[in-house]
Amino acid sequence: MTSPHLAARGVRLRSAIEAMSGTVDRLTEQSRVKYSNPYAALSWPDAVDPEADWFFTPELLSPAGTAVMERLSDRQSRVLAFHESANFFSLNIHGEKSLMEGLAKRLYRSDLVDISDYLHHFLDEENKHSVYFGGFCRRYATLYRSRHVPFQEGPDRAVADFLFFAKALIFEEHADRYNVIQGRDDRLHPLARFINQAHHADETRHLVFNRAIVDALWQTDAPDWDDRQRAEIRARLGQFFVATWREYYNPDVYAASGLDDPWQVAEDAWAHPRQRRQRREMSDKCLRFFLSHGILTEEPADAF
Amino acid sequence: MPSDPDELHSWVLRKARDLPPEGLTDDLPLLAGRHLTSLHIPELILLLERLRRRPIDVEQLCAGDFRDLATIRARFLHAEPGELA
Repeated sequence: MTSPHLAARGVRLRSAIEAMSGTVDRLTEQSRVKYSNPYAALSWPDAVDPEADWFFTPELLSPAGTAVMERLSDRQSRVLAFHESANFFSLNIHGEKSLMEGLAKRLYRSDLVDISDYLHHFLDEENKHSVYFGGFCRRYATLYRSRHVPFQEGPDRAVADFLFFAKALIFEEHADRYNVIQGRDDRLHPLARFINQAHHADETRHLVFNRAIVDALWQTDAPDWDDRQRAEIRARLGQFFVATWREYYNPDVYAASGLDDPWQVAEDAWAHPRQRRQRREMSDKCLRFFLSHGILTEEPADAF
Repeated sequence: MPSDPDELHSWVLRKARDLPPEGLTDDLPLLAGRHLTSLHIPELILLLERLRRRPIDVEQLCAGDFRDLATIRARFLHAEPGELA
């Protein structure tokens, strides 16, 4: 990109960020009003009983609807739900680590300085969520590994910025759907409900910000991208849907729950029509956002 | 060792973008050639773990481990358990 292009891009970005300033100011004020201390908001029980209590909504279990679930007793289903809960919290920790890294990198960058006040809150709230998730995993369960390996691939900065916030949007919208359902599920242990509710309370602001900044960056940069670049960006977003969803079907969870051939369980669950339908439903809101803004032109078929 | 190189080949063939006219060869640079991206790696690791029926230590991985089909097979499917991450 030549200097005149950079100058024009700068003008467009300033204008797009100015257009979202009312939203950003409102979110910043709400974050200040709702500022919380994760060390005081929750008292952790000494122990929990995975065989006695539900820690994950049964209908949301990743093998729900498959033959595996029919073979499990009620007690075994609760144990599986406990490990699914720890996996859900773990994948949130891994997602938030990447998010915090990317937010910190963009904090006070000259072209994004006008959103820095809100980035402080975003970063602070993500760190607090990880305190909850990590507190649960380390006290009662385990921190499940992620299979995401962030190799440096070096797209240009505008592409990297857009993909960073678009991926944050996808990741957080999916997690929030689980938070909303589980925060209201009175079958769940109060600790599991609290963590889901607390996460959702902050995420509502993040979701608004994500949509505003993704729209602003798309309006700013898409005019500079040729058809090939846009196709590559769309393919990356599509594959991120797949990679995000795959993390919910973790063979390590099935192995910890005593299921045989955990990789095949994962593959069968991933391909099961009930699960494909459920993933599509849970992705519906963010798919509609990407499609209605012209960012995606078709649904990522591999994810569903 | 249980492994299915054809399933690996089929998976990459299905996922790779902009393959050259000679198609998917064993030495085609998958990441450096931008045929695959890091976003494909989680799904690829799951496939490799299923084929070899053992976990892969993700923290020990680097981009070079996924350079091309030949490297992936040698690194994850044909090596003995003790040689693997």
